This record gives sequence, C-alpha cells and structure tokens, in this order.
Amino acid sequence: MNAPPRVGASLRLRLLAGTLVWVALSVAVAGWGLGRLFRDHVGAQLDAMLVLHLDQLAAGLAVDDAGRPTLKAPPADPRLARPYAGLYWQIDRIPASADGVGVLRSRSLWDAALRAPDDALADGAIHRHRVAGPDSATLLLVERGVRLNENDDSAWRLLVAADEKLLAEPLARFDGALWLALGILALGLAAAAAVQVGAGLAPLRALRTALARVRGGEAQRLHGEFPQELMPLVDEFNSVLAHNAEVVERARTQAGNLAHALKTPLAVLANAAEGRDDALARLVAEQVAGARRQVDWHLARAQAAAGRRSGARAPLAPLVDGLLRAMRRLHAERSLDLAARPLPAALAFAGDAQDLQEMLGNLLDNACKWAATRVEVAAGGDGEHLIITVDDDGAGLAAERRDEVLRRGVRADERVPGSGLGLAIVDDLARLYGGEVTLADSPLGGLRARLRLPAAPSPAGR
Amino acid sequence: MRILVVEDEPTLRAQLAEALAAAGYAVDRADNGIDAHFLGDTEPFDAVVLDLGLPRLDGLTVLRRWRTAGRRMPVLILTARDGWHEKVTGIDAGADDYLAKPFHMEELLARVRALIRRAGGHASAELRCGPLALDTRSGRVAVDGRALSLTAHEYRVLAYLMHHAGEIVSRGALTEHIYAQDFDRDSNTVEVFIARLRKKLPPDLIETVRGLGYRLSPPP
Repeated sequence: MNAPPRVGASLRLRLLAGTLVWVALSVAVAGWGLGRLFRDHVGAQLDAMLVLHLDQLAAGLAVDDAGRPTLKAPPADPRLARPYAGLYWQIDRIPASADGVGVLRSRSLWDAALRAPDDALADGAIHRHRVAGPDSATLLLVERGVRLNENDDSAWRLLVAADEKLLAEPLARFDGALWLALGILALGLAAAAAVQVGAGLAPLRALRTALARVRGGEAQRLHGEFPQELMPLVDEFNSVLAHNAEVVERARTQAGNLAHALKTPLAVLANAAEGRDDALARLVAEQVAGARRQVDWHLARAQAAAGRRSGARAPLAPLVDGLLRAMRRLHAERSLDLAARPLPAALAFAGDAQDLQEMLGNLLDNACKWAATRVEVAAGGDGEHLIITVDDDGAGLAAERRDEVLRRGVRADERVPGSGLGLAIVDDLARLYGGEVTLADSPLGGLRARLRLPAAPSPAGR
Repeated sequence: MRILVVEDEPTLRAQLAEALAAAGYAVDRADNGIDAHFLGDTEPFDAVVLDLGLPRLDGLTVLRRWRTAGRRMPVLILTARDGWHEKVTGIDAGADDYLAKPFHMEELLARVRALIRRAGGHASAELRCGPLALDTRSGRVAVDGRALSLTAHEYRVLAYLMHHAGEIVSRGALTEHIYAQDFDRDSNTVEVFIARLRKKLPPDLIETVRGLGYRLSPPP
C-alpha cells in the first residue's frame, strides 16, 4: 500500500517565515547599533561641552588680593543660572578643607555642592567621574586642578557637571524616531516578501490549474509555460500521462488482436459443424458458443480502460449520435423509431469514451432488439452523476428476471442458448466506474435501463 | 445476384463462398484489401461480405475508398472486433450491416438477403410480380402458389429480374450479376436462360426491349 503523501508546512509559510525572521533580526541589530552610535555621539558632545565650560572657568578664574577666588566671566549657559537645571560648576580650594568646598559655584547648584571623589590632580589633567548630585540625580562630572601662581601653593579644583537626564531626552527622541523608521522598514520588507513569495509561487498555481484541466479531461497533457525549475516536473508528468494512454491503447490493441486470433477459428469451427446433425457437430457448436461467451466477457473487461486512466472526459452527445446512426443501420430491418431527447451539450462522462460507448451501445442494442416500434434515449445529470435512460416499448422483462440478466456472468454451468452478455457487460463496466445500471418498467411499456455514471465537470463550470 | 466475399482466412473464405453459392449467389472472392478494392471498384456486385483485418489494405480503408468513389453496393462487415467503437466506425465508414465472428451461417445469409432486398427498395422478404412469387429466404419460386423448379442459373437470372422488376435490365448487366469473375462468360447463354424461363413462366412476363435488354413486368 502506498501511504498518502503527508502535508508539510506550506511553501508560502516557509518562505515568509524565513524572510520575516531575517528582517526582524536585521532591523533589531540595525536599531541596536544605530542607538549605540547615537548614544556615544551625544555622550561625546556633552563631554565636549563640559570640557568647554571647564576651560572657560579656568580662563576666568582669578584670585583677589584677599586670596579669594573670583570669576571674571562666569559661563553664560542659562542652565547654569537656573536652580537644579542639570548643569553645574563649582570651584574648590586645594588642599581640601571643609570650607574650601564650593568657594564658588553656579547658581544652579543653589545650596548644594558637588562632591567629587578625592584624587590627586596633576596640573591641567582632566578627570571624569559619575557622582551623586542634587535631587538624587546622577551627574557626569569633569574636573581639573588649576594653579594660578607658580609661587603660591594654593590651587583650585574646577568642577563642571551635567545631569545624565540631559542625555536622556535627545536619546529618547532619537530612539522613538529610529524605531518608528525601522518598524516601517520592517513592514515594507515583509510586504515586499509576501508579494515576492506570491509572485514566485504563481507558476505552481498555474501548474495546479493545468493539472485540474488534465484531471477534468479537458487536456491530454500539461500545457502552458512553466519556469525552468518546474519543467522537469512537468515533463515527467506528461510522460506519465503519455505512458498511461499508451498502456491502455496497447491493452486494447492486444485484446483486439486476441479477439481476431480466437474468433476467426471459432467461426470456421462453428461453420464446419453447422448443417450436420451428429454428436460431434453438436459438441462443437456447444463448445464454440461457450468459448465465444468467455472470449466476449473477458475481452470486454480487458479492453475497459476503467481505473487505468485518470482524467478522461467523454462528452455524451456525440457518442449517442454515433450510436444512433449505427443502430438505425443495424436495425434497419425493423424500421424502429429511434429518438434521443435533446442532450445537454455539457453532459460528459468522467471516464473513457470507448467504455461509455460500449455500455450505451449494449443498452441501445438490447432496447432495439426488444422494442416493438420505439426506443428513447434521455440523459441528465446532477453535477456529480450522469444519468442516462434507455426506454423501449417491447414486452419488458419480469421483475424477478432483471437481476439475473444483469448478473449473468460466465459461470461454467450456464448454457442458456442465445442469451446475450450485453447487459451483464454494461453492469460490469458501470461497476468498475463506481456506477450502476438498473432495470425498471418503462413509461413506453417495455423495459427501462437506467445507467448512472460519474459525471465530468463541465469546462465552463470551473 | 453476385456477391464479393473478402476474407483472408482460407477455410472461412471457402465456407462462406460455399454457403453463399448454395443459396443461389454467384460468388467472387478476395483474400486481401488491394484485390478486394479493385474488384469492388470495377465489378458490379449486389452485396459484399467484408472482413476488416485484411493483409495489404485494411477493410475500413477499402470500404471508405469504395464509398468515396461512389460505389453504393450494400456491404456487410464480418469481423472479430465487435466493440461498439468498431461498429460505429464501420457504419460511419459506409457499412450497411455488421456481423461479429463467430456467427451462424444462417444469420449471415439472412442478413445478406435483407441487404440486397433493401438495396432494391423491397420491404418484404417475398418478392412478387403478378402471379410470380420469389421467397428470398428459401430461394423458392412459385407461380400462383405452384412451386417452380429452376436450375441455379435460371434462378439467378429470375431473381435479378425480380429484384429489378419493372426496370430494363441489359444483357450485359445480367451476365455480370449471374457469373463470378473467373467464370467463362458468354452473353449468349443469357438468351438461353431467358428462353428456358419463358417456357416455365406464364407468357409475356419477361419482355424483350429491342436493343436494350429485358424487362420483367406483371401482365396488365
């Protein structure tokens, strides 16, 4: 037994998921990197500003005659004048003493003071610290020592500090803009990926449509233009289809050859026995009749394409027309009224044309044999099934014999002379297709044969 | 009545020829498609029994060529391939009837009779012309219900005239329809058969149309 193919994750899902993971990863890395870069940049800017203020302090620092430090030109930044505005400066006296802290300081410090860690400052060296500041803020602090007079051992420690929050605001603004832009980029990429996947998978949809056409019997092979990558698949499939058709055709030809090879000698034997009335002649006639039934029965099965060929579609109307032409000629002697109600052109059998012809031919032939004056064919369908009825106005068939006529096989004990296999062959073929033939009373007075078969979808209906 | 039997199996061909000859027909034979086509194209047959699986040229092609060339004689296809697909193809190629092997010789004879009769426009198996009656099934001829004894050749001449009752039948046509091709023909013998028939039949039934031939017509 072949296990049915398992349904894997859809190609579209695979391609999309892959693309989306990749897009998300790239966007995240880009966002992180850009944020980092900007943070460094803003930090450096702030540091430069603090150093600038420090330089201004150093430049403006003077000591008056009483030894007190004064600032000739305090830094102008307005944030230095507003209390707790986040930007501060302060000048301490060195060596450190309790009253030496904050001998001069910015207005923004108000009543607080900057507490820098103790460290020895070489002249001109700039140190950087993070310290706690007023309002429980964290401050970035730069400091340097200044010795104003080479001969004086008094020195000054200049401090400039900025609240880290000064950094936070532009960073937050930048991050907001950055992630918005990256989000839009990610969405755009995802949309582009979806479109691309759709476009890339379009040939598969075309392939499916072409397959459906083959299955519906509208095409014998896959037609259309397919991308290079799909061509091996399409070619393989077409060769399978061609092989299938060839197998059916070869089986038919072989069966036909066998028929010819068997039946001609049978005809010779039968003719040789005919007209003689002895035991041997009777035996030959009987065995020839039996052999003929066997050959007919098995050939009908061997020639049937049922189940061996998928995607066949046989329009009903032309087949019925051909058979009616043949019936009029074959039963010309009886000058029957053979009528087909107008058959809808869309009606088609989901199977092999010759098989349908075989079934209908046998039904019509049987009706013509038994009809008194009239045979009628009608057909309809409910989309899934094709219903064909053949009516005659003959003597009909007793209800209890109907089953027997249909099931009449090739049992060895069967010796009913002249009993045709026609209806039994129809029954057998119909069953191979999952259909059935039933016999009933006809409104015309004789027998009604009703054939139900799978219908092929109409090409317009798809 | 002259019939062409086309069958490549020698025994069956002989059986067919024998049975048809015994039924009163002049029989020509062919064992391949080329010969069959030539005979049917050049000789006037009243019916053809045609096998389909023939060497050199298949039966369906032979039939189509005859029909395309305007040959209208009735053709009975006799074949082992009896699917409805083949039957419809055969009928559409121009066959008038289809008989599957193996078959009963009686049935073949009945169908050939019916084909010839229908080709002449006769509805019944019994042909009548005034007091004369010919039963095509049994090959019996009666005048006013009294059976007439005829030789094989006399029967063929009379049967052909009765199938074409009321028409003028030339001596040549009679010759062609009562003899097979390989027979040594002599149109004078037709006059001999006509003379013998006239003796056995009521007077004036067979009329001589000077310069044209004979006509069988009921007495006024």
